[in-house]
Amino acid sequence: MSAKKTKQIAIYGKGGIGKSTTTSNISAALADAGYKVMQFGCDPKADSTNTLRGGEYIPSVLDLLSEKRRVDAHEAIFLGFGGIYCVEAGGPAPGVGCAGRGIITAVELLKQQRIFEELDLDYVIYDVLGDVVCGGFAVPIREGIAEHVFTVSSADFMAIYAANNLFKGIEKYSNSGGALLGGIIANSMNTDFHREIIDDFAARTKTQIVQYVPRSLTVTQAELQGKTTIEAAPDSAQADVYRALAKRIAEHTDSKVPTALNPKELREWSAGWADQLIEIERASERARVAA
Amino acid sequence: MVVALKERGDGLPGAAEQSGPIEQLRYACSMGAMQTAAAIPRVIPITHCGPGCSDKQHNALTAANGYQGGGWGGGGVAPSSNATQREVIFGGTDRLEELIEATLKILDADLFVVVTGCIPDLVGDDVGSVVRGFQSRGAPVVYAETGGFRGNNFTGHEIVARAIIDQFVGAYDGEREPGLVNLWSLLPYQNTFWRGDLGEIKRLLEGIGLRVNLLFGPDSGGIAEWKAIPRAQFNLVLSPWLGLETAAHLQEKYGQPFLHIPLIPVGAKAAGEVLREIAAFAGVSERAEAFIAAEERTYYTYIEAFSEFYSQYRWGLPARFAIAADAAYALALSKFAVRQLGLLPARLIVTDNPPGEYRDAIAAEFRALDHDTEGTVEFLEDSYLIHQQIRSAAFGHKPPLILGSTWERDLAKELKGVLMEIAFPASYEVVLTRSNVGYRGAITLLERIYSTTVSRTA
Ligand SMILES: Nc1ncnc2c1ncn2[C@@H]1O[C@H](COP(=O)(O)OP(=O)(O)OP(=O)(O)O)[C@@H](O)[C@H]1O
Ligand SMILES: [Mg+2]
Repeated sequence: MSAKKTKQIAIYGKGGIGKSTTTSNISAALADAGYKVMQFGCDPKADSTNTLRGGEYIPSVLDLLSEKRRVDAHEAIFLGFGGIYCVEAGGPAPGVGCAGRGIITAVELLKQQRIFEELDLDYVIYDVLGDVVCGGFAVPIREGIAEHVFTVSSADFMAIYAANNLFKGIEKYSNSGGALLGGIIANSMNTDFHREIIDDFAARTKTQIVQYVPRSLTVTQAELQGKTTIEAAPDSAQADVYRALAKRIAEHTDSKVPTALNPKELREWSAGWADQLIEIERASERARVAA
Repeated sequence: MVVALKERGDGLPGAAEQSGPIEQLRYACSMGAMQTAAAIPRVIPITHCGPGCSDKQHNALTAANGYQGGGWGGGGVAPSSNATQREVIFGGTDRLEELIEATLKILDADLFVVVTGCIPDLVGDDVGSVVRGFQSRGAPVVYAETGGFRGNNFTGHEIVARAIIDQFVGAYDGEREPGLVNLWSLLPYQNTFWRGDLGEIKRLLEGIGLRVNLLFGPDSGGIAEWKAIPRAQFNLVLSPWLGLETAAHLQEKYGQPFLHIPLIPVGAKAAGEVLREIAAFAGVSERAEAFIAAEERTYYTYIEAFSEFYSQYRWGLPARFAIAADAAYALALSKFAVRQLGLLPARLIVTDNPPGEYRDAIAAEFRALDHDTEGTVEFLEDSYLIHQQIRSAAFGHKPPLILGSTWERDLAKELKGVLMEIAFPASYEVVLTRSNVGYRGAITLLERIYSTTVSRTA
């Protein structure tokens, strides 16, 4: 077995913000660059790796576990685009059982069976569901799993709230050897003030923007074919953005403890931006009327 | 401005609101109420919980506590879902469904009571919908959510009682029968002597002319009595606090009145008072007087014989006592010790963690131990603290009498005292029908206290 250390990364963010899309494109770009990658979907929906496998669903670790008590992790690993190892934790049907415990169990299972070492991986990327609502969803950032966390966020306040909550989780686990924050992947960045808002939030929480990813039709078209942008439109500008992002993440070494805003700070911060946005709108309205 | 409907109280939370680690505990968890179900003749609990939960509860309650035996349907008989990882992640309702189905095929009972442990209650298993499925097929099954984190087995007891009332006894708008009473008193199995005690209480109530739905124990008629609950003239809560919630529920549900008497009578003095109060409430005073008179004749004949020993014995009888027991026994035995044996209280400790709202009333009962004796009760659950309090009590120059549990064995040796195991866990007692209450039980208790005393140095 080689002595190299697998780099483990966890991607968090509000529901529907673009975690799976971004994660899959990062995985695809890293695989294209010659790395051995595993993408580990930590979401009961089990749809993280769909665009790496032609839109196809794969049986999850917990699907197997629901059938038998002892699961061979290999039965839950499927090859996807560029030789990427695709794994879905899976989980119970909505409204029953404990999804958080499911994530813990699935992650533990692969760890116990020493799969990462066996497959000699360069990267494991965890795509983790929405808010860190309970201990289970914090497992990837706890001691001994991922070292780096990135959060996908748009400039929407709800997405930023979710990111801020995640920062709280990271702060909490940081003194017990948990993962640290690599930065924010700013998704759906189409106007300057989107950038300004997210830049300001990054500055306030002492973190950085790893990459601005524009909202793009190429992504939608690729998704409809069951593919990542990297696979479906490798020559597109959007693919370049994802490759640049993958490169930043591959080169990234030093993660930090963010300083999450407390509820009052967050409220004041967003109120301040609300005033500015109204001003921007008024200015463009005045410009329109003047024209 | 954010305004709550009620302003937050200032100051530190009261003792009842605090929690923390305790050692050598004196009760089981909520799911210990599986033995509440098992205490009803021909009723079997079904335990939906993790491996070991059920075993731990019933072993503590039924073995380490008087070696009472788990009962016809409790203890090791009770089927369990033995929930593990799979039931945590995916929910355990399928497993429960399967278990109830199989139980109905294999086991013969008048009623099955599903009690849940922490796993299904934390994960949020919809146990109700599973059980309702069986109920709609006419199967005699009810469910009680007794996850251990909800509280101790006293809490669980009332959850189970309410489950049976609401899901099995059901609605009633017929007549009420004068002279029929439902008894809510000692906690079965938790109280080591509950079987004999309930039997004696039944004898007393029948003695004054009442008919009793005893509900639990060998002297109960089982589920026929439960079905008859709504027909009773009234509910009798004979305990400082346990049963009050159930009685209040029955009052609301059936418009049935209840009489609350905190004192379980031990000895003729208390028995006379309590029986007269009950008789007056029920309207059977005349018969009560004749019964009380007859009982007292026998009782005092024995006490007279005992008084020779009591006044002549020269080798050191206790003068002061400490008690650490559940509220019901602590109050009942303390009053007996003070009013009928002439002992003085050195420490009075209630160990069953009564809900905060009942504590003032319980303390008031202890303050009025006798017309000339005031007691100060302490609510403690941690044996370390309990032992500290007993150790520091003033027992005078006579051997301390400690009414407690097996946890006080070493302490009693240390204090060169006399220990009577009357509370959970009583692991150096084998208890079947023995009772400490009423007229007969009091004489037995007295025999035991003084046999232990005179044999102390044998
Ligand atoms: N940069 C982008 N340009 C265009 N569409 C995007 C972009 N990022 C995400 N999307 C689209 O947004 C939708 C949600 O994205 P995705 O499924 O990746 O989000 P998610 O955060 O993984 O959601 P969930 O929390 O439900 O798992 C998808 O249809 C995706 O194609
Ligand atoms: Mg997703």
